[in-house]
Amino acid sequence: MHSLAMLAFGRVGWTDLKPFIPLGFAFGGIYALAGVGMVVLYRATGVLNLSFGAIGTAGALISWWFINHTGVPDVIAYLIAVAFGGVVTLLYGLLFGPAFAARPPLVKTMATLGLALVLVGLMGHLAPPLNASPRFLHLPSSDWRYRISGAIVNWTEIIAFLFAIVLTFGTAAYLRFTKLGTAMRALANDREISATLGVPVRRVEAAAWLGSGLVCGAAGLLLADQLNTLDPNTLTFNFIIAALAAAVLGRLRFLWATLAGGLVIGLVQSLLNAYFSWPNFDQSLSAYRTVTPFVIATTGLLWLGRRRVITVARSGN
Amino acid sequence: MALAREEAFGRAALKRSLTAIDRGLAIRGAGITAFLLVVLLVCPLAGNAWTKTFTGAAIYAVVAASLGILYGRVGMISLGQIGMLVVATWIGARLSFASSMPFPVLLLVTGLVTMVVGVIVGLPALRLSGLYLALITLMFAGAVTVIINKWQFPNGGHGLIGHLSALNVQDIQTVRRPSSFGNDDDYFRYVVIVCVILFAVALAHVSGKPGRAWKAIRESETAALATGINITLYKMWAFALASFMVGVAGCLYAAQLAQPSAQSFATQDSITLLATALIGGIYSFWGAVVAGVFAQVVPYLFTAQGLWGWTTDANIITIIFGVGLLQVLLTAPGGLAQQFPKDMANLGRLIWRLAGRLRPRPA
Repeated sequence: MHSLAMLAFGRVGWTDLKPFIPLGFAFGGIYALAGVGMVVLYRATGVLNLSFGAIGTAGALISWWFINHTGVPDVIAYLIAVAFGGVVTLLYGLLFGPAFAARPPLVKTMATLGLALVLVGLMGHLAPPLNASPRFLHLPSSDWRYRISGAIVNWTEIIAFLFAIVLTFGTAAYLRFTKLGTAMRALANDREISATLGVPVRRVEAAAWLGSGLVCGAAGLLLADQLNTLDPNTLTFNFIIAALAAAVLGRLRFLWATLAGGLVIGLVQSLLNAYFSWPNFDQSLSAYRTVTPFVIATTGLLWLGRRRVITVARSGN
Repeated sequence: MALAREEAFGRAALKRSLTAIDRGLAIRGAGITAFLLVVLLVCPLAGNAWTKTFTGAAIYAVVAASLGILYGRVGMISLGQIGMLVVATWIGARLSFASSMPFPVLLLVTGLVTMVVGVIVGLPALRLSGLYLALITLMFAGAVTVIINKWQFPNGGHGLIGHLSALNVQDIQTVRRPSSFGNDDDYFRYVVIVCVILFAVALAHVSGKPGRAWKAIRESETAALATGINITLYKMWAFALASFMVGVAGCLYAAQLAQPSAQSFATQDSITLLATALIGGIYSFWGAVVAGVFAQVVPYLFTAQGLWGWTTDANIITIIFGVGLLQVLLTAPGGLAQQFPKDMANLGRLIWRLAGRLRPRPA
């Protein structure tokens, strides 16, 4: 009861919260990035890629391996992680996309869990946990710090936040104004009619797979740095749940709502963290803050789905 | 005259179909009885560690069957069945320490409490379409993982959570088993019998009125509504039945593990369950048995036990399940339960044809 009263009467002051706001925007930005990647792919191909978490995590692990076991410059290692995301997603799309094209969205989505299991198994096999010296991926941008009106902000946070906004804006503009973007929107509407009208379906879908994979690789790197862990299970799990939560808040359709959803989740999670790390607070509650994405997304889902609608799935949709 | 002939013909046809059904039932019944006899008598001979694995497989088969009811029969995908199993195991352990009711009553009460939880989680199913339901249940499983890592399982402590840290080692208790089935072999037989009862209950539902309603909903919700089926009621019914089964399975699991811990459940277990249930065959109860074997016995065979001295990493099995999931979704939606008899029949025909070629032909 005491802790509740403290929450309500705000004994935790503004100055205590300040450092957590940039962190919240950074996490929110990463969630939004992954969410936007998911939504774009879902709109173009009807596939909700649940292997996003595993792909991003595998990319970050590969990057760690290149940095620690080869003489490759760090920047190249980061690019390899991003490229890995793109290549794996594209390969999956090329191999399995056409085969599942005519199946219901639910089946397409379950199939991506197969890829997730393969990647999780590979990571567990090739990168077993190092208990003595756990792996970490530290982006150099996290060392460049600034003080903005009392809060310390590092460049990784700024990059994550700006990247999310630029990506959402860029993707929205791309879908609106370019030929390929128009084709993607056409596909989202009706695959068969688009094909009849001469839209190169396979090529457009491949572009969506590649683009979303690249975004996923980048988001995986940023999240590995921000969460300060490379443990495959923790990272995969946090990544996919938060990205899904953001995508769900965007109703798997709206890019701006996905961005807003991701930012809200990140911010709420971080502010709860602030409350829980306050010295007088009941520390035992802090474990629950990880539940934030579920609670927000579930509430959002129930709110958005409050009207009972029966939908009849069209074949090929 | 013609009428009488038709009537006689009809009667003969009816008689034929009745005997045909009887024969089919008899073969099936004999098959199931033989299978159960082998399981009950032969499995405990394999040694203590194996018996424990088989107990796990039987429990897992029930969980896979619950997923089969939701997805295979009604078309609702739940990615949170392992989350539900965690909840049930927790409730089972909690009730076991809090009360002294006889074990069968404990099973029933755990089943009923889990059923209530399942219906509450499943309520969104009434509003959300398939994909969103999958996501909400996946998130439920995630939230359960977070909370159970914090709460741990009851082990004889006080209060709601009832968890004692390892420091109070002298006070830590184990979840009790039915009084005359204390050792692992007897407990295995007990679990198998309870699981058979659960399968029978599920089968009775599927072959009765609810089963027909579920099938109609799976084929087309709109058409089902138009024919006057109460969609809300039957969807809830499916959730209630599935959760009840998982509830009883969870209580059995709690007693099997004796001291359940959060480490007994891996994060990706929900996905592995989906993979094995689909590989086994989501539309059939035999498929659920195969799923139990795949999820528990196969990993044990290749990791702890080693097959002819060849051991491997559990992660390799995860990879194989991933590939299997993709393969099943692509080429064999009915899973092994449907594919295996077909393949065997094809093989039999092939052998018959080859043998026919070798047979000397009459000149």
